[in-house]
Amino acid sequence: MNTLMYDTYTIFWRELKRYKKSRSGVLIRLIQPAIWIIVIGNTFSGTQPLIQSVGFEGEYIEFMAPGVIILTAIFTSIFGGVNTLWDRRYGFMNKALTSPISRSAIALGKMSAISLIAALQASLILGIALAIGVTFPNPIMIAPIMAIVILFSLGFSGISVMVAATAKSQETFWGIINFLGMPLFMLSPALFPLELLPDWLATVAKLNPVTYTVLLVREMMTGVSEGGVSIVLSLGIIIVFVLVMVGLASYVFTREVNKPF
Amino acid sequence: MYSVETKSLTKSFGDVTAVDDVSFSVEKGEIFGFLGPNGAGKSTTIMILTTLLKPTSGQALIAGNNVMTDPKKVRENIGYVQQETTVDEYLTGRENLLLQAKLNHIPKDEIDSRIDEVLDLIELSDKQNESVVTYSGGMRKRLDIAGGLLHRPKVLFLDEPTVGLDIQTRRKIWEYIKRIHDEFEMTIFLTTHYMEEADQLCDRIGIIDGGKIQVIDSPENMKNAMGNEVISIIIEENNSRDSFLSELKNIESVNKINEDGSKLTLFVSNGTEVIPKVFQISSDIGIKITSISLTQPTLDDVFISYTGHEIRDDDGTFNRKREHAKMKRLRA
Repeated sequence: MNTLMYDTYTIFWRELKRYKKSRSGVLIRLIQPAIWIIVIGNTFSGTQPLIQSVGFEGEYIEFMAPGVIILTAIFTSIFGGVNTLWDRRYGFMNKALTSPISRSAIALGKMSAISLIAALQASLILGIALAIGVTFPNPIMIAPIMAIVILFSLGFSGISVMVAATAKSQETFWGIINFLGMPLFMLSPALFPLELLPDWLATVAKLNPVTYTVLLVREMMTGVSEGGVSIVLSLGIIIVFVLVMVGLASYVFTREVNKPF
Repeated sequence: MYSVETKSLTKSFGDVTAVDDVSFSVEKGEIFGFLGPNGAGKSTTIMILTTLLKPTSGQALIAGNNVMTDPKKVRENIGYVQQETTVDEYLTGRENLLLQAKLNHIPKDEIDSRIDEVLDLIELSDKQNESVVTYSGGMRKRLDIAGGLLHRPKVLFLDEPTVGLDIQTRRKIWEYIKRIHDEFEMTIFLTTHYMEEADQLCDRIGIIDGGKIQVIDSPENMKNAMGNEVISIIIEENNSRDSFLSELKNIESVNKINEDGSKLTLFVSNGTEVIPKVFQISSDIGIKITSISLTQPTLDDVFISYTGHEIRDDDGTFNRKREHAKMKRLRA
């Protein structure tokens, strides 16, 4: 157990080192969510009456800010596994595979680094949101919100690592990831209240772990609870989702990297 | 106990047999080399020995540990320097070694001194805090090799350690390999398709071609077994070529003849006496000799005599295609 943690940390350390050295990447990854929050946030400002009809007092941009924070977390983490493909192509993977560390440690180290990076990116978006006038009733909530984002991203990084380990090419990876990422985001109340969705969409959204994360973070940011979903239920669903993904990812990763690339 | 031992090791990819019934053993402290052209099965063998591939049949032991049943033990005992340079460009030289040290569970309090030691050995101490992006190809390779020996493995695997490097850099790498071998008394298993490299570094060489080991011996013994001289003749081919060949075979001190189109290689024990006879026969039969030379045997000649063809550096395209097809099959 101790060795597993030490080895996981080794990989985690390496991934973060690489992230730190790619400063341009940090900014590029911010552009898209920044556009979302600034452009979409203002484009739909006229929907304020709709938002208010389900109990939100503030402006639309305040309603969707948590959604964009989650968007950032989803896409940073679901893209994050792509370097697994580079690692396999350029030999780092073989180096790790011929050292005494376990395969799961490689997967877990990557996942924990990706989720921390996703949370860092999300916190930058949170900063942008605050800068353009989104208010926070309770600033102390930032810490638990970030904890939720890290936890949630861990689940999505699991998806990413799993897909990257299975896909043998960049094309396959991006194909699958784009197929997964956008629908998971869209089929959630990130941009629009759950109560106002057509029934069938609401039903689908309720099967989506993203939904519960958005509801939870939005409740923590705005203080309004939505759709009768309790904090405990949301948190429970997120935890189950993350545990399943982490377990599945380290299993699939171990199985896949033992096959020749 | 041998450092490396294989028994009838075989690896097939679909209908292609990359490694075919390979058995050999490497003594502790030996530098053992696999010599063969691209696609001969060298890298596949190394990948089996380093637990990256499972053999189709047969056995492989590293320091007594079976690669199939005890891969973890094997991984603790090996260092593996891959054919491609695998150092992390984003990290500095020292950070790369630190990563390698952690991956191989070097005790915390020894990490710094070990890194200093190998940096000194490969003469990269003054560049250690610069990003690897700024390193030349040779420096990257040295760093890679340093990473492989940091944890003082019992067996160090070097897969084509100097491929793609210029000749000066290649010689420099050889020096480092020799120095590593002297200093740590490590068993080194290397693959190469450079004759000179095998000749310079290896105590013993296994010539591998088409997945099969053709011969294993020391470079000296191999060269001596050839007879002490080699005559290379290039002829203009015509229909009396075959009778020319059979006449040549009748010359007493000719041990062996290899033919490769218009190029004939004669392994002889007394060259100066054979050459006049060759001219005699050629004028009797009516074969025109374009060029003739008398040399000491090289490993090149050894290779030709065992495989019937030259080791070629430039047939990579064909083999890359084959490799590609092989990998495609694996994915399907």
